[in-house]
Amino acid sequence: MTEKPKVGVYVCHCGINISSTVDVEAVAEFAGKLPDVKVAKTYSYMCSDPGQTLIKKDIEEHGLNRVVVASCSPRMHEPTFRKAISEAGVNPYFLEMANIREQCSWVHEEIEEGTAKAKKLVSASLAKVRLLEALETTEVDAEPAALIIGAGIAGIQAALDIADAGFKVYLVEKTPSVGGRMAQLDKTFPTLDCSACILTPKMVDAASHPNIELLTYSEVEEVTGFIGNFDVKVRKKARYVDFDKCTGCGDCAAECRVKDRFPSEFDQGMGKRSAIYLPFPQAVPAKYTIDAENCLYLSKGKCGKSPKCQDVCGAGAINFDQEDEMVEFKVGAIIVATGFDPFDASRKPEYGYDDYPNVITGMEMERLVSASGPTGGKIKVNNGEEEIEPKEVALIKCVGSRDASVGNEYCSRVCCMYVAKQAHLLRDKLPDANIRIYYMDVRAFGKGFEEFYDRVRRENVRYIRGNPSEIFKRGNKLVVKVEDTLNSRPLEDEVDLVVLGVGLEPRADMREIMELLRLSQSPDKFFLEAHPKLRPVDTATDGIFLAGCAQGPKDIPDTVAQAKGAAASAMIPLARGKVTINAQVAIVNEATCRGCGYCVNICPYTAIEMITINRFGNEVEVARVNEALCKGCGSCSAGCFSDSIQPKSFRDSQILPQIAALGVMR
Amino acid sequence: MKMDLEQLRKTAAEVVARDDVKYLVGWKQGTYGYRVAPGFVEDAAGAAELIFSPLCTANLATYLTLVEELPIPRGQEPDDRKVAVMVKGCDSRAVTQLIVEKGIKKDEVVVIGCPCPGVVDPNLLAEKYPETEDQVEMKWNGEGFLLLRGGEETKIARDEVLAEKCRLCRYPNPVYSDIMLGDPVEPWETDEDKGVEEVEGKDVEERAEYWAEQFDKCVRCYSCRNVCPLCYCQDCVLDRLNPTWVNRAVNFSENTAFNIARAFHLGGRCIECGECERVCPANIPLGKINRKLAREVRDKYGFEPGVDPDAEPFQASFKPDDPEEFIL
Repeated sequence: MTEKPKVGVYVCHCGINISSTVDVEAVAEFAGKLPDVKVAKTYSYMCSDPGQTLIKKDIEEHGLNRVVVASCSPRMHEPTFRKAISEAGVNPYFLEMANIREQCSWVHEEIEEGTAKAKKLVSASLAKVRLLEALETTEVDAEPAALIIGAGIAGIQAALDIADAGFKVYLVEKTPSVGGRMAQLDKTFPTLDCSACILTPKMVDAASHPNIELLTYSEVEEVTGFIGNFDVKVRKKARYVDFDKCTGCGDCAAECRVKDRFPSEFDQGMGKRSAIYLPFPQAVPAKYTIDAENCLYLSKGKCGKSPKCQDVCGAGAINFDQEDEMVEFKVGAIIVATGFDPFDASRKPEYGYDDYPNVITGMEMERLVSASGPTGGKIKVNNGEEEIEPKEVALIKCVGSRDASVGNEYCSRVCCMYVAKQAHLLRDKLPDANIRIYYMDVRAFGKGFEEFYDRVRRENVRYIRGNPSEIFKRGNKLVVKVEDTLNSRPLEDEVDLVVLGVGLEPRADMREIMELLRLSQSPDKFFLEAHPKLRPVDTATDGIFLAGCAQGPKDIPDTVAQAKGAAASAMIPLARGKVTINAQVAIVNEATCRGCGYCVNICPYTAIEMITINRFGNEVEVARVNEALCKGCGSCSAGCFSDSIQPKSFRDSQILPQIAALGVMR
Repeated sequence: MKMDLEQLRKTAAEVVARDDVKYLVGWKQGTYGYRVAPGFVEDAAGAAELIFSPLCTANLATYLTLVEELPIPRGQEPDDRKVAVMVKGCDSRAVTQLIVEKGIKKDEVVVIGCPCPGVVDPNLLAEKYPETEDQVEMKWNGEGFLLLRGGEETKIARDEVLAEKCRLCRYPNPVYSDIMLGDPVEPWETDEDKGVEEVEGKDVEERAEYWAEQFDKCVRCYSCRNVCPLCYCQDCVLDRLNPTWVNRAVNFSENTAFNIARAFHLGGRCIECGECERVCPANIPLGKINRKLAREVRDKYGFEPGVDPDAEPFQASFKPDDPEEFIL
């Protein structure tokens, strides 16, 4: 830094956002008198085209080599102003933003206070901008392939879009079949399309697409690297069935010695399956899988004289010696589409889900009403004494949603409509039944939702506003205890069937994915997006995107829209073939690094490794930063014993004068 | 005491005779009274002067990190020979913690473990049996100690002079060593949180007053830092001028800042060897602060420093289910 700093200070009005509580003219006048400041100006919207032009012109006229913009948080507009000054020939990292909006004008009421603080913030930025270093960005190649974790509707849609664009896709699914939760649904609101009819063609497309490599019954074990260059390890779990030989005929399952003994995951435990099974008839791939935990031969080592499945399989596909297989590949982008878990109704014990067989969840209702479900679509329930066709049905909304007592304050966004849809389907099947829905609010916000809600009400479905406090048994009836809050009337409503409109929760196994990909959670425990409004499909890690309910509750159209958005975002590095590496990375002072490796452990991006160097004749271990992985977060610096690792542009030597300029340090 | 001095000196002589050993750090008779000095032994003659007695309170692991990394002149090979060190149970935890933090490497040291039935508190001893200029010998004797001076033998009950850290000791046998001397000793019952509970029991104002009184005594000699085997940063935060985190002024505010900084930098690292408290000229109960932090780390995170050389350092490790209810 041989050149003497010549700084331009630009104070933004941000309409009245800043100027109503900060005297921007006074701030500019104050800044103009500070050392090294050549010019200080104000403008109504500094980020606008004329605002940027003002800065560029001054750089030319006054030969500025450093710029301070006093405006909003750097989160949004730092890239804007970096680009502007670099177009005028100044290194883009010779910029410092003083946040006089979020951290000043928005939090002060008095103009005197706001102005005084803005002046301090500008002085602080000025102290730092003079000490900044010129940084250069670099580029590396990107692998033109994508990994998609989870093959529900979100994963399938994203895979198809990326594959159609001509890129390779690895679609990894934990269970034996693609399809996810949508495959379990009967009809979809508000149009009442048959869920399977619209989904199964996409499932088949995903399996047969030449650009998609489908890895079902597989789990991602390890992800290292960075945007454009992720190295992925996937464990293909042993199915004990030769994938290529199995024809999906089903003879094995029919002959299994423990036939139809285990609760079917697909039917929410209401139907039964064998130890060798296809999750559901339309499963893709149509290949059988042996559940090693329940298979007699695999769990006990003995299955009669010889395993029956092996005896009957004409294709000779059963292979008990099969082992897990590791698959390794490289991708440029990753989409996380791991979906949700339905709320576990046992956590609301007052509703008696564990106690009464005729208290069921919405997911179970979907299977019960489905023509391919365990009862073939007949609504039969066990009231504790006998199988009956229910005459009195109650559906309860917001079970496990909007409920701080179970830790879920959010609205699950689908229950209002799926409960209405189930009421409609029940009305179809039980024309004489009395159907009522207990609700807190009806949120029918989507396209065609309000119309559907109206239609259901006209079908003699009663909406009663009240949140039931308890469900208990009286004789062979269930009693729903509730206050009708519109009439301020306590009720004890006797019914034959209760459907709990359970909400959506983050998946129980999402911790594993979080750790694997180093993602964050939002307060609702779903995955956190990079920006709630402007980057809803991105994560804080470049090259990793979110789609579907993994990010938060969504209905099918929103999920598909987000999947397509994530696919489009993921394709940016793939199509460009290159990725730009952040220049504000941490750097190690190898002369003082003690080699303790704390930074290696602390780094959330695994960007630091230990290397051996020769330091004045001594072989010593020191840390080294992989600049492609480093995000410049500074965690390493906080953990360093000897201040040997520091993020560029945020070195102690740069931020301590900045703090000192605020007048808070000696 | 099962270990005899002959065996110790013989082993030491064998170790220093090895080609891959530079020198050995052990204990030797001090210049007067109850004093014991660190001995840096390079040959058999030096080994013959070594002792191990209830007076060997010092934690010699401190000397491992005091060695400066000097530049090697061109054409010369670096001296890669190991340093041997004699450790008690508590000292061995310091070595282990140093290995965890890569302050030293396993292959840079030869750790000679000495199972320890507990050492004396020299101040307690001097109170009851005033120190004279004569050199003395002290031995473990059954459950107690035996003091030999001026041809006289005095039996001393264990509880009378046992050091506080030994009363609380849960690791009398070295947890990590390359060579172990003698037979392991039987660990004893301890009331490990003694002193911590007493302070925790006070209400906030009483506690503040208590520590104000304690910190007010501090003369800022930094002996506690200098003797600590785990305070080995070349550039210590307490010495730093830019920025000056802790001012040099000896007053309550700076003394408190200093003591809190010292304690927190040892959170999850202190192995409770008690050296800081032993050397403190102002008798500040530093052990209580250290033990409080150690207890927090143990109770909340299930971590105990210096017991597993292959552990991850506490401050640099993270588990998703780490408790965080105390984060505001």
